[in-house]
Amino acid sequence: MASDGASDGASDGAKEGGLGEVAAKALGNRSFVIGGVLTGVLIVVALVSLVWTPYSVIDMDIAGKLRVPSAAHWFGTDQFGRDVFSMMMVGAQNSIAVSLVAVGVGAGFGVPLGALAAARGGWLDETVMRFNDFAFAFPAVLSAVMITALAGPGAVNSIIAIGIFNIPVFARLTRGGALAIWKREFVMAARVAGKNAVRITVEHILPNVASILIVQATIQFALAILAEAGLSYLGLGTQPPQPSWGKMLNEAQTLMFLAPQLAIFPGVAIVLTVLGLNLLGDGLRDVLDPRLRRLR
Amino acid sequence: MALLEVEDLNVTIPTPRGTAHILSDVSFALERGECLGFAGESGCGKSITAMAVMGLLPTTAQATGRIRLDGRDLLAMDEAGLCAIRGRRVAMVFQEPMTALNPVKTIGFQVAEGPRLHLKLSKAEAGRRAVAMLRRVGLPPDRFSPDLYPYQLSGGQRQRVMIAAALACEPDILIADEPTTALDVTIQAQILDLISDVVQETGMALVMITHDLGVIAETAERMMVMYAGRIVESGPTAEVFRHMAHPYTRGLFAAIPGGPEEESRRLATIPGQVPEPIALPPGCAFAGRCARTEDDCRAAVPPAEPVGPGHRVRCLHPHVGAT
Amino acid sequence: MSVFLARRLVALFLTLLGASLAVFLILEVLPGDPATVMLGIGAQEDSLAALRAQLGLDRPAWQRYLVWIWGWFQGDLGNSYAYDEPVIKIILERLRVSLPLALMAITLSTAIGLPLGVLAAARRNSLTDVSVMGFVQVGVAIPNFWFAILMILFFSVFLKVMPAGGFAGWDAGVWPAIKSLILPAVALALPQAAILARVTRSSVLEVMREDYVRTARAKGLTFAAALWRHAVRNALIPVVTIMGLQFSFLLAGTIIIENVFYLPGLGRLIFQAIAQRDVIVVKDVVVLLAGAVVLVNFIVDMSYALLDPRLRGGGHGQ
Ligand SMILES: Nc1ncnc2c1ncn2[C@@H]1O[C@H](COP(=O)(O)OP(=O)(O)OP(=O)(O)O)[C@@H](O)[C@H]1O
Ligand code: SF4
Ligand SMILES: [Mg+2]
Repeated sequence: MASDGASDGASDGAKEGGLGEVAAKALGNRSFVIGGVLTGVLIVVALVSLVWTPYSVIDMDIAGKLRVPSAAHWFGTDQFGRDVFSMMMVGAQNSIAVSLVAVGVGAGFGVPLGALAAARGGWLDETVMRFNDFAFAFPAVLSAVMITALAGPGAVNSIIAIGIFNIPVFARLTRGGALAIWKREFVMAARVAGKNAVRITVEHILPNVASILIVQATIQFALAILAEAGLSYLGLGTQPPQPSWGKMLNEAQTLMFLAPQLAIFPGVAIVLTVLGLNLLGDGLRDVLDPRLRRLR
Repeated sequence: MALLEVEDLNVTIPTPRGTAHILSDVSFALERGECLGFAGESGCGKSITAMAVMGLLPTTAQATGRIRLDGRDLLAMDEAGLCAIRGRRVAMVFQEPMTALNPVKTIGFQVAEGPRLHLKLSKAEAGRRAVAMLRRVGLPPDRFSPDLYPYQLSGGQRQRVMIAAALACEPDILIADEPTTALDVTIQAQILDLISDVVQETGMALVMITHDLGVIAETAERMMVMYAGRIVESGPTAEVFRHMAHPYTRGLFAAIPGGPEEESRRLATIPGQVPEPIALPPGCAFAGRCARTEDDCRAAVPPAEPVGPGHRVRCLHPHVGAT
Repeated sequence: MSVFLARRLVALFLTLLGASLAVFLILEVLPGDPATVMLGIGAQEDSLAALRAQLGLDRPAWQRYLVWIWGWFQGDLGNSYAYDEPVIKIILERLRVSLPLALMAITLSTAIGLPLGVLAAARRNSLTDVSVMGFVQVGVAIPNFWFAILMILFFSVFLKVMPAGGFAGWDAGVWPAIKSLILPAVALALPQAAILARVTRSSVLEVMREDYVRTARAKGLTFAAALWRHAVRNALIPVVTIMGLQFSFLLAGTIIIENVFYLPGLGRLIFQAIAQRDVIVVKDVVVLLAGAVVLVNFIVDMSYALLDPRLRGGGHGQ
């Protein structure tokens, strides 16, 4: 009776033709390729900035301030004479680090919570879901602003603030996917065989919800980049002298009449990053799980 | 000139895996007031034939041939011309009454919509007409207000609403695509009686698409048997029932207890696979499943040859004699 | 219907209770002493204690919470530490900026997003569709504050036709006031319009495959008429849900956007109040915003009943 149900398993799409076929499918998917390239470039730039940047992003050179883009300074210099290109490289590293950890926090708490709610059901499930509803109804940025403003601005606090609002997203998604799989025959069989809930969750449930979680993580990553930029813009995120794209935009706004070019580069970087991650997410969705494909 | 003439209709749909040949060389004619039955296994192209006549093929589909209504070719007609015909000259009742009605519009609105559009009736006039039509199909206004929504009706009642909407503009042709498949057995008979009654009353032509051979035997004067997008046997219903010539037609009837005279003659299942529309064989499409297959069957598609009065069959080795 | 209403009202009440508790606890746990902020770092200990007593800060937390909530029932939201004015007066003042801004933004995003979504669905896979989807991808990727800066660059710095920030005030006349809200409203609306267009498109595409749309076509309705009369209203149901959710994003957006444009609205008020440890203002505004979110979701639930007769209930035939 459940033979139909078993064949549309979340992971079956990926298992179907083995890894080679999935890779071929991925390379044929335009969203995946464009998103992958954009994201790849970002990561490479961030990694390179760890060991090398064209100029120091701390040392000031007041004499050479507010230069327009040139061969020496590709993106020009800011009001302290720092090289904008170098600052953007370090900004990439900052964006990735904050967002990655924030999404990690969200998934790290959200996934076990969701899996637990699905496995136990009853009042626990009810509590987790009500809490989720509440968190969803509450403007996330508002709370993030509250947390960072009161606990003190900084990268760590913005990670916490962004991470907290990723928890319900992952909890809800995991619970939804897990509930469907708990009803499947092979899980029933495992239960009959006497395996406990933790073992079933680890062996059967999580692998089957992994693909939707990966897709969602990509999208949350993009949202986190936007949130981090917003907090930094408000002066609540990463603190100077560590460069961040949001902070750069804030400073650029005050210099808009003098050096409008400063307001362009960090914004373009944010857009390309978020665009890349969103496209990557769309592509992954198509590749990993055809059933999730949006109408297009 | 027949009311509706379909000539060499071919429909293909491009798919990622190749071109699907959905209909091949479909030809038939429908006279005024005639009842024509279509039978065949699921996926053989019955609905697509109906949709082609309605001019509502999927946008990706390509159709060649001619579909003439009163001599005017619908395939060559512009969209405005087709809109003027749909619902006015040719109306259709679909298989699924549960989903074929819009859940957020009243049944009165949905029955009145056609008359308002085609007959340019005012809202009030169309409303009165809708009530009259609903009464005609057995939904009197004292119990079935036109202000009801579809979710407030049962499946059979919804199918009555569909029939009322289809009849509302007094079309020349009614196409009923498996109108009873989704209904309870007891309701099925009522709906079929209703369709037969209104067809006789109004004198319109009927195209009855069905899985139920009993329905064909009762309602259709002539019948077509389709297989893999082709009409494989056609003729007057009585003649075809008496002298089934195509092995496929016989196969459909064979496993039925009591034979073709039995009251319920549903299509039997024939062992074997129907070829996919993207991989039709060069010869007879039934060859893989047919006990009478010989080498020549696989060479070319058999032509439609006459085997009796008005009776044609696409088979190189047809059965002869009584069924 | 009345059972439905009662249940929604209980939910409204519970959410407000939850929100008030949450914000109270957060402010309780996190560091920051209003008295120190008001008097400055070098203030005398005894004057600090006096101020705390005057503000009621020396009482236990549960008492302060009850006093605060009791105030809400009496229409007294307390006094702002920083402005030394009734909070209700400040909020009403700020709403004169934020409310028109939010309304403009939501009108704009709906006016852009809905038609674009329907159009893209109607012309699926056409150049129009591809362009709309491109707009969607870019729209959700642009941080709204950067888009705001770009617009200031173009309209204020380059063309000099729009104010770069600040609020003219309603006393300066309706048009100058509206004019200072146009760029902020566009900045708020853009990402929401993109999301709305995407949701509308996929919803309409889904509904267009429904049997009843085919039925409408079989009756002789043109593609456009079938789309408009039979598909769009059904497609609106999920769209309205998203519009409800967007309201809370919009509120959040005002915090950043009002800062970009130096607008004296609620968003900027709460931002400044947090920075100044004007705890009473923070608490009141947060509860107000949470209430607004719940209220909007209530309206969304009501509009479902308008869109879908099945939710209205009513007698069965026969
Ligand atoms: N939009 C489409 N794209 C591709 N193939 C299609 C499309 N619509 C129908 N087909 C194919 O056309 C063939 C004929 O379909 P059709 O709906 O006419 O069958 P049918 O005889 O009405 O079957 P049933 O008795 O199940 O209703 C089927 O093989 C079907 O897969
Ligand atoms: S042509 Fe040959 S294979 Fe086809 S039905 Fe006739 S006998 Fe069978
Ligand atoms: Mg069919």
